[in-house]
Amino acid sequence: MSKKEGEKLRIKKEEELKVVGMHCATCVSTVSKSIKSVKGVKDANVNLASGIARVEIENARLKDIVEAIKKAGYDVVTQKISFKVNINPEDARKIEEKIEEIKGVIKASVNPTNGNVIVEFNPYSITSDELAEEIYKKTGHKVTKVKSEVTNKSEVKEMLERLIIAWIFTIPTLYFQYSGLLFIAFLSSIPVQFYAGLRYHLGAYMALKNKTANMDTLVSLSTNIAWFYSVYALIVHQQVFFDVATLLISFILIGKTLEAYLKERISVQITSLKEVKATLADGRVVKASELKVGDEIIVKSGEVIPADGIVDEGSGEVNESIVNGESLPVKKKKGDAVIGGSTLISGYLKVYVTRAGERTYISQVVEAVNQAQTARLPIQNLVDKVASIFTPLIIGISAMVFAVWKFILGFSTEESLLFSVATLASACPCPFGLATPLAVLTSVNRLAKKGIIVRNGESLETLKKVDTFVFDKTGTITEGKISVRAEGDKDAISYASALEKMSNHPVAKAISSISNVTFEVKDFTEFPGSGVYGKVNGHDVIVGKREFVLQNCEGEGKGDVLVCVDGKVSASFYLEDKIREDAVKVIDYLKRMGKRIIIATGDTSDNAEKVGKELGVEVIKGLSADEKAELIRGEVNKGRIVAFIGDGVNDAIALKEANVGIAISSGTDIAKYAGDIIIPKVGDLLTLLEYSNLTVRKIKENLAWAFGYNSVLVPIAAGILYPTLYLPPEYAALAMSMDSVAVSLWSLVKI
Amino acid sequence: MMIDPVCGMEVDENSQYKTMYKGKVYYFCSPHCMKAFQKDPEKYLKEGPKGMPNE
Repeated sequence: MSKKEGEKLRIKKEEELKVVGMHCATCVSTVSKSIKSVKGVKDANVNLASGIARVEIENARLKDIVEAIKKAGYDVVTQKISFKVNINPEDARKIEEKIEEIKGVIKASVNPTNGNVIVEFNPYSITSDELAEEIYKKTGHKVTKVKSEVTNKSEVKEMLERLIIAWIFTIPTLYFQYSGLLFIAFLSSIPVQFYAGLRYHLGAYMALKNKTANMDTLVSLSTNIAWFYSVYALIVHQQVFFDVATLLISFILIGKTLEAYLKERISVQITSLKEVKATLADGRVVKASELKVGDEIIVKSGEVIPADGIVDEGSGEVNESIVNGESLPVKKKKGDAVIGGSTLISGYLKVYVTRAGERTYISQVVEAVNQAQTARLPIQNLVDKVASIFTPLIIGISAMVFAVWKFILGFSTEESLLFSVATLASACPCPFGLATPLAVLTSVNRLAKKGIIVRNGESLETLKKVDTFVFDKTGTITEGKISVRAEGDKDAISYASALEKMSNHPVAKAISSISNVTFEVKDFTEFPGSGVYGKVNGHDVIVGKREFVLQNCEGEGKGDVLVCVDGKVSASFYLEDKIREDAVKVIDYLKRMGKRIIIATGDTSDNAEKVGKELGVEVIKGLSADEKAELIRGEVNKGRIVAFIGDGVNDAIALKEANVGIAISSGTDIAKYAGDIIIPKVGDLLTLLEYSNLTVRKIKENLAWAFGYNSVLVPIAAGILYPTLYLPPEYAALAMSMDSVAVSLWSLVKI
Repeated sequence: MMIDPVCGMEVDENSQYKTMYKGKVYYFCSPHCMKAFQKDPEKYLKEGPKGMPNE
């Protein structure tokens, strides 16, 4: 490792992490092994009782260690803080790196479009207050609000203020300068140069302090050269350029205000419940955030439902497009669940609140989308490299331009200076920083409105490269409404039905609906993926997969599920599950695209094969949750890029193993779904794939804008086409600031 | 307290890792032990606990 790389990593001695989920000696050795497998870890000491892993580190990243522990199937206690910083988009990566150098920081994500920063840290090694202080020391940015809520001071408002001041003083500056009243021109240029342009000078200073250069450096340098030279020129009675300095700032502010407006428009959140008011049953009106579980609320037609709950009285039509993207209203009556954020179109509902505040569906969606917006796509690495050398390169070119005009072509100092300043003013690294995040942000927000929740923005780029799609069967490819045919002893069938009432498994639900006779069930035990046991009406009853039941019972039996009563196989069930219509469409599309498709199912019944045959797809059946994950791991290790699409609850491990995990949710509790992306139904995969393509294309187009703009403007500003085409510094600045506007606008256009 | 038939550790009946074999419920300390048992239950029942499985 080179010295520079070594410096980038944090050199630390010890870190304590709280590991969750360890309950035995094997866990300790697994966690310990996983930590030690990380390069740079010298030693790891894991304590089962306290759950604390003490890690000795030399040149290792805490992020890698936490990831290794999570990959081993455990979790680590971390805390997150959010705050807002005022930065240039191209500096986002540098700020992230600086924050990640702080002891105890696991991950920092800066959203270049709106300056939102999320820092995940180890609360066992640093407190949030200490962290805030460290961040200030390292980056010069003040952490104003510690907690997940982010303060959103409008950048547009601030920019607009500066823009107005700039023009109020720029116009008189021009008037006085052209009228020959140079000293008054000097006075009226001061507010423009040092108030309206202050954010650029401060930004340049901050960049210098961090030993880097950015767009602020270019603006500050060009305006200061023009202004201070003019002050000198005023004293020695030569030509002044106060007009150049003030117009440069005023024009840049036009573009930047427009850019800030567009960024704010793009990042406007999907409906948040925080501002919604709720009417309690007793008539009191409170904020939605103040509701508690158990409250009864009244919702009238046209109102947004302020929390998740169950209809207690009344009926009405609800628009649930926020959950499933469907704009067709759904009828709700007593006993139906309603989701906060959806709108009651007509009718009247009295709702019993079951989830309020941050636990509501919509709050979870907002949180997930916020996280996705700070995603860092692999393509960004290249962009960062370009951005980091861009500004120094432009400063170099600008100096060269001055030298060429002055010393080789023999122009005057003033003229040469104008070319040099125009070169500085025409170049802008901003769009490089904006290209990727704006494209991701637009897609993530658009998908959220269709009920598709992207929790990991990176997956939008990965999805385009996926060559193998692995689907869960029950509930994903099939409707999950299993029809059952029973054979054998009638009592055994009733016992099995009574026993299965205790389980939530879709097969159990189907079996439980077969008989209405109620029996007393005792000692119920569930063996996930195999079957259930219990004492029903005094009999020992086992219901489960054929192999599982035969292992514990005498006799033989065909059928997909067997029933064993008091040690003997007494009945069997045959299962059938219909293929979903939208699944057929999705599979057809993927086949046409030449993708490899596998159905991985825990089902051992013959129906699984039937489904595979009907769709013309490979089926691997009888897999436990672990085995599904192993299958995916195997494919990934073979170098394939795999997407797993399945029910989030049963397939959590498989979803994590896949390059892209897509969970299908019924749309109520997204927190329990493990996927990178959550879709309401399998048919939405087509929309998702469309957006994945669109996002990657948008990023490339945005980058093309950025490269194209700079490579045309800089040479013109340097005077390469002079005198046919000449770009004075102020127009160069205006053109430059429009570059970011172009990228922002292009991100909004859905082509 | 029950004994994990694979590694010999004490486990309680609340363990999420359990399986049924020949009508009797066995509890394990980890998914690794449970898998090892499910692969060859007779081996552990006849020969007794073998210690932590490698995988």
